[in-house]
Amino acid sequence: MERPKLIVDGRRLDGRRPDELRPFRIKAGVLKRADGSAYMELGKNKILVAVYGPKEMHPRHLQQSDVAVLRCRYNMAPFSVEERKRPGPDRRSMEISKVIREALEPVLFLHLYPRAVIDVFIEVLQADAGTRTAGITAASVALADAGIPMRDLVTGISAGKVDGTVVLDLMKEEDQWGEADMPIAVMPRKKLITLLQMDGNFTPEEFRQAFDLAFKGVELLYEAQKEALREKYLPSLEEER
Amino acid sequence: MLFVSNRELVVPGKLLAEGNYVAGEGAFVEDGKIFSSVVGLTEIRERSVSVISLQGRYIPRRGDKVIGIVVDTHPYGWILDLNSPYTGNLLASELVGRRIDIFKEDLSKLLRMGDAVLAEVREVDDRWRVFLSPLQRGRIKEGRLVEISPAKVPRVIGRRGSMLRVLQETTGCRLEVGINGRILVKGKDPDKVNAVVEAILLIEKEAHLSGLTDRIKAKLEKLR
Amino acid sequence: MKELISTVKRDYILDLAVRGKRIDDRALDQYREITIERGVIGTAQGSALVKLGNTQVMVGVKLEKGEPFKDSPRSGILVVNAELLPLASPTFEPGPPNEDAIELARVVDRVIRESEMIDLEKLCLKEGEEVWAVFVDIYVLDHDGNLIDASVLASVAALYDVKPPAVPDWTLPGFPLRAKPVAVTVVKLNGVLMVDAKLEEENVAEARLTISTTENGNICAIQKGGSGFFSRDEVERAYELALRCGEELRKKL
Repeated sequence: MERPKLIVDGRRLDGRRPDELRPFRIKAGVLKRADGSAYMELGKNKILVAVYGPKEMHPRHLQQSDVAVLRCRYNMAPFSVEERKRPGPDRRSMEISKVIREALEPVLFLHLYPRAVIDVFIEVLQADAGTRTAGITAASVALADAGIPMRDLVTGISAGKVDGTVVLDLMKEEDQWGEADMPIAVMPRKKLITLLQMDGNFTPEEFRQAFDLAFKGVELLYEAQKEALREKYLPSLEEER
Repeated sequence: MLFVSNRELVVPGKLLAEGNYVAGEGAFVEDGKIFSSVVGLTEIRERSVSVISLQGRYIPRRGDKVIGIVVDTHPYGWILDLNSPYTGNLLASELVGRRIDIFKEDLSKLLRMGDAVLAEVREVDDRWRVFLSPLQRGRIKEGRLVEISPAKVPRVIGRRGSMLRVLQETTGCRLEVGINGRILVKGKDPDKVNAVVEAILLIEKEAHLSGLTDRIKAKLEKLR
Repeated sequence: MKELISTVKRDYILDLAVRGKRIDDRALDQYREITIERGVIGTAQGSALVKLGNTQVMVGVKLEKGEPFKDSPRSGILVVNAELLPLASPTFEPGPPNEDAIELARVVDRVIRESEMIDLEKLCLKEGEEVWAVFVDIYVLDHDGNLIDASVLASVAALYDVKPPAVPDWTLPGFPLRAKPVAVTVVKLNGVLMVDAKLEEENVAEARLTISTTENGNICAIQKGGSGFFSRDEVERAYELALRCGEELRKKL
């Protein structure tokens, strides 16, 4: 397959400018059985997250006597990608599960629930690049939806470089054919970074530009996360006013 | 200085107050400022700023009245599920009020798996083992058991018991409210019992709205 | 992991059953509210999301080229896989499919295969060498009982949603489908037969009987589950229920 030109006249393949996010939406409380849940769309990405816990941790020897354990499972549906993916974890999803867990742990008050476990299940129903950061964004909402106390939400987005231009929120073709991809997750209140990965090639200047773009994207998504949580209760609160 | 008003809907990370204030439940202190840690409604009492969570699991505390469900047995009694990350311990001797000879008596005759028990949390030790004292001799035998989110239980009780009074007085039913989200509804008339169960589920759904007590009262009085 | 249900609730459900009633006021032969959304996943060739009360099942159908089985060199391949996602219930654990997930997949497979819903012969590209493989992936998202009926409904809807891949090899005008099978699961609770059990009812039921039928009333698949039993007469009555309720379900497709 021939590599397309990714930026023409300052516009990307889907018409976006370098600093634009794809259309997105976030909804909280979409599943009945889970303690907390959230659904997110970002471009063609469709991600569903469920949170169970805090609950008793089994097997007992994995319990931590002074804190709750956070477990994350990132998983892609067989039909989520163009070429059917065999069900089950592969090496990529195991690494992603780990970095997502490490992105979420810093905000949670885990010491409030010693010996317990909090499970986060991230299912990618349809993928189009940026699933791990979208997964983190949705997982934060699901954790808050479950009533688990946290210092702040965690918001994720990717920045990168395509055809020499630093861009925000890479789509699949840009991730595949571009020169750099940098997923990042932030605690927006204090701008503390809890996930940072990168592969490709950045000059120091491009690296800073990518960061600036990412923080801008994070601001927009953070508002949407908060709105999703409020929206679950607000329509009815609005009615009574 | 306060940054929110009373009964305002906030999300985690929201700045609530700065200065001469104390953080109550659902709030934490960082860099001398008070932030919300949960999704909930603010509660401001004098100098204390709290956020009452609209969701969340039950964490046992001494003195809580709970309804537990038997999930396991051990030589001297049972382990009860409390709808919590932590299970409760109930001694057989306490349930029947006398010493039990575990070699002569069959504990399963007293309580079986799945039986519900009305109890009080006597103690929670520093290893989070929860010890229960029964409030009744034996298992719960009659009535309907409703499970709601523990965060909504205070609403079922109401300020100074106002909602609970409405539920009981308009229908003639009696309620045993477990702080852990399990509520037992007893009554002679099954229609009245059903009405109370429906009212409780409605309270769970609309706990964050005001005027709820009056609306529930009006609904139930129509049945009289 | 077993579900936790109190004896208080169990006794209540059993008591209602002998009086012909259910906890959510439904009739014994009444299904919960059903919605079917088609074309929900763009990366799949066909997809559907079924909501049956609070139960939610998503199915994605993918078409890929593959080698035929040696004993049927002219026939396309059907593969059905089911995931009881840990998302859907505190009792579902992450890991490879357990016996419940495998049973679910195999039951749905039998319904599709035995009803001959897909004309597999038409999916042959080169005899003995290359055929189209149809992958039906069942994703259970939220578990509130009756996963089998919801999964069959979602699978059939997803297959009817299939838009053939935009490749030169695809010569057929559409996807070769005929027949619309449906599954009706009848549970026996305190001796009483009822359809579409909610989770709480499933946890208390003695056994279940899933009967799948095609438009002409013929039976294409049956599965009995649970450790209880059915009398001959109960099986007959379950078939009647399956016919009646099956018709209603088929209308939704």
